Amino acid sequence: MAVDELQAIIQRCQILEEADFRGEDFNLFQVAGQKCLEDGYAAQLLEVVQNEKNKVIIKNMGWNLICPLVRCILMYKQEDDNREHCLKILDLLVQLCNAKELFLGLLEQIEQTSGEQVCKTVMLLLQPLQTVLFKLQNKKAYSVGLSLAMIMSQLTPLPVPYTKQQIQEDKLGLCQCCNAVVDFAKPFVNEVVKNMEKSSECNDKELKEELLKFCMKSLKYPLLTAQLDQLESIEEHPFRRFAAEIIDILWNMRELIPLMFSHHKDRSQSWENEEFADIERKNSADSLACLSYLMFVQQFGIDCFPVVFSPSYLLQCNMVHIEVLLKSSIFSPLLQDLFESALLRMEDNSLLHQYLEFSDFLTVPQNLVKVMTLCPIEHLRKKSLNILQLFINKFDAEGKYTLFRCLLKTSNHAGVEGYIIKNIKDQIHLALMKVGGSSWFTGHHLISLLDLVLLLPDGAETDLLQNSDRIMASLNLLRYLMIKDSEYDNQTGVWTMLAKIEQSFLKPLHVGLNMSKAHYEAEIKNKKENRRDSNNSNTVCSVTVSGEKMPAMTTEMQLQVLRSALFTFDLIESVLARVEELIEVKIKAV
Amino acid sequence: MTTDEATKPEGEVQAAALAERGEDITPAQDRGVLKIIKRPGHEDECPMIGDKVYVHYKGKLANGKKFDSSRDRNEPFIFSLGKGQVIKAWDIGVATMKKGEICYLLCKPEYAYGSAGSAPKIPSNATLFFEVELLDFKGEDLFEDGGIIRRIKRKGEGYSNPNEGATVEIHLEGFCGGTRFDCKDVKFVVGEGEDHDIPIGIDKALEKMQRGEHCILYLGPRYGFGEAGKPKYGIAANAELVYEVTLKSFEKAKESWEMDTKEKLEQAAIVKEKGTTYFKEGKYLQAVIQYGKIVSWLEMEYGLSEKESKASNSFLLAAFLNLAMCYLKLREYTKAVECCDKALGLDQDNEKGLYRRGEARLLMNEFELAKGDFQKVLEVNPQNKAAKSQISVCQKKTKEHNERDRRIYANMFKKFAERDAK
Repeated sequence: MAVDELQAIIQRCQILEEADFRGEDFNLFQVAGQKCLEDGYAAQLLEVVQNEKNKVIIKNMGWNLICPLVRCILMYKQEDDNREHCLKILDLLVQLCNAKELFLGLLEQIEQTSGEQVCKTVMLLLQPLQTVLFKLQNKKAYSVGLSLAMIMSQLTPLPVPYTKQQIQEDKLGLCQCCNAVVDFAKPFVNEVVKNMEKSSECNDKELKEELLKFCMKSLKYPLLTAQLDQLESIEEHPFRRFAAEIIDILWNMRELIPLMFSHHKDRSQSWENEEFADIERKNSADSLACLSYLMFVQQFGIDCFPVVFSPSYLLQCNMVHIEVLLKSSIFSPLLQDLFESALLRMEDNSLLHQYLEFSDFLTVPQNLVKVMTLCPIEHLRKKSLNILQLFINKFDAEGKYTLFRCLLKTSNHAGVEGYIIKNIKDQIHLALMKVGGSSWFTGHHLISLLDLVLLLPDGAETDLLQNSDRIMASLNLLRYLMIKDSEYDNQTGVWTMLAKIEQSFLKPLHVGLNMSKAHYEAEIKNKKENRRDSNNSNTVCSVTVSGEKMPAMTTEMQLQVLRSALFTFDLIESVLARVEELIEVKIKAV
Repeated sequence: MTTDEATKPEGEVQAAALAERGEDITPAQDRGVLKIIKRPGHEDECPMIGDKVYVHYKGKLANGKKFDSSRDRNEPFIFSLGKGQVIKAWDIGVATMKKGEICYLLCKPEYAYGSAGSAPKIPSNATLFFEVELLDFKGEDLFEDGGIIRRIKRKGEGYSNPNEGATVEIHLEGFCGGTRFDCKDVKFVVGEGEDHDIPIGIDKALEKMQRGEHCILYLGPRYGFGEAGKPKYGIAANAELVYEVTLKSFEKAKESWEMDTKEKLEQAAIVKEKGTTYFKEGKYLQAVIQYGKIVSWLEMEYGLSEKESKASNSFLLAAFLNLAMCYLKLREYTKAVECCDKALGLDQDNEKGLYRRGEARLLMNEFELAKGDFQKVLEVNPQNKAAKSQISVCQKKTKEHNERDRRIYANMFKKFAERDAK
């Protein structure tokens, strides 16, 4: 019987000196102990462990029992007596055994779990682990760091609950576990704080470094992808609590404010020889972006933040993070909220164009345009558009001017170009309304901008359908200018440019329209004739979506598409006609 | 003082005093920022624009409620003066202070947070009250590495700076150990100051200067004439230099997105020659700038015709290979490897690329990888004697390292065993 075997080995070892324990003895003890547990004799094992006479044996060999103990604890149901006994055994082992070996045993357990067992195991072992860590003399900081790193790396593969339901359910126990881990870390933080107060030379630099690493890791996982808004009917949102605790730790260790600004380096070429520092900086970029979000959007720790910075400087600092989040492969819901909150702190027209010197200020809107045009999720596209407009509004006139130029040249998307052209029209309107209005949207600056607007990208051969958004916007702008800016004032310079506009825009547009209309009308005629001849049209190409071939378009559908193209051309032509009418009238009047 | 005044909260008394007697320190004289000195400073100098400034402060709203205090954080507040990092009132106010001074500032919302306020503590259109103590200030460290310190004597105008490749007109006086060795008016392209015996530090600093700015630059050796010194001026190796520079005017070089492909290819040819000239003269930092331009112009360029594509790739390949050489000379091995990787991405059997990557890896002690590269070189060109000898170097070093590791670890375990036994 298992208990007998156990008793046998115990008796043999009781008479031996500690130094005479052999490897074989360790093995037998472990096997016997394990069998006791598996066969349900936890109570007996508990007695053996509690026995004073066995103290030396347990001290040396006890830690080998960790593995079977944990397994059993997780296996037994809550009410089972055996589970109670096992927990008591674990407690005793923690008190009696060598701290170093126990530490290795506990860590090994955490390393070996996976999947659904991870959180349960971690939460079970946090308390014993903490006790053991406090017992360690040398290398405590290193061990604390190792434990936290191990735990976090085990948690990282787990999916982060996102919806309210998922959070409440907490199927894998991640929410609970994260908070348990941060509570686990707190006594160590207190130690660091106490040491810092004693002397400005922090002897426990190592422990502080390890805790800092843990905070940075937590900011990336789970906080970067967690849902952090207040949810009704959940009084204590587990991730909000977790975030608040992390910020608290950083604040207590006096690292919160330095971290907020550590990423803001001058954008000019820097001669870095610390290449490792560079790599680490790249890795920490996500964490710092999350930290900024927590502070500015969720307002955790905002009480500690100095209230003297200018809003444009805060925007500048956050642009770095926004750029990081835009480029990150992990989709983060934080990005747009962070950008929006930074922009809302500013008054319109207050952002000096000098800020466009920072490369982020030009690359971020370009990346935002990519989200607007390529992201498959509609509400994100819409939100990006709103944020882009907000961004544009904050700049002064020269800033808007430069931004428009940049986006017109780089967006490669007719819809976006059309949108920018409409913005230009609005700015010209404002400039004309004000006496002595901005020099950037009148006069020679405007002319150079209009050069980019009032043209057909490929001359007469431009695909008018593809570019219809842009062409309509340009025509509307031109029409507005003709009506609003009388040829006597010529504030915008459009009348001086008239000949050029006709040459490079209006004439090719006429030609293009004629060609396109003729082309499409011919297509329609062909289709109608073919329909008469045969019912089956030879499909030139087929479309497959998700492995399923789409049904071929019926001739009727094809005709519909062609007709709507013609309608678009008609629309363009009508505005073009109106513009030319206006030109004629004004020229005649002169 | 009547009993009424004595019982009023301190903040109100101070605010009232400021409104009555405070000095209007705004340039526009619109009473947007009013100041009273509580305790005068003990030195005469005021901080200059761009200086790094250390203060303690306390901030209150109009109703007397405290919204912030640096002393609560137990740390002085540090910022760069006159750069728009802080609210306007502070940039104006702190610039008038002397070291050791304590003053009160009353700030209208237009010089603080305006209509937007600052969530969560500052409401919209709030007038703010500050008590500020100026603890210390020092020159601006331009690249945060102690290499170039700048103190601005006269602020420039406008807000743009010359970018790399811009044409600048400057007046410059150079001092070493107190004696002036150079004084001239000169026009040149940023990044090519070397052609006029101007150290790279000036090129770098110019990118942060504004039109009309007059400043003093303290250059460490890395940004000065470096190890070569400048015999022409009698400057020894690794000397520290002081320059007084006035940026009279400049014309910016075009940004990458402002040039079309044709322009970029034309410029690439010019720039490549410049880079090679610098390289031959051993001016690696300047050469890196030139070759770097080719990369930044052409690397992300798309929509090229076949002919343009070929030309572009040929420039990029040359640029990456030459950059790798430069970084090897500058001892920035990781960057050298990155450039070789990119070169090999364009031409995977490029002999120079493989060889240089091998060299870099050898110097980073990655012997196996280095050996692999050199072996590939031999596959491409069996006649390459240098590669052959490098392979034996790798093997020798690997052996040495293994020997050393063996000795270290053998001792290590012995040491641990001894320590544990204690």
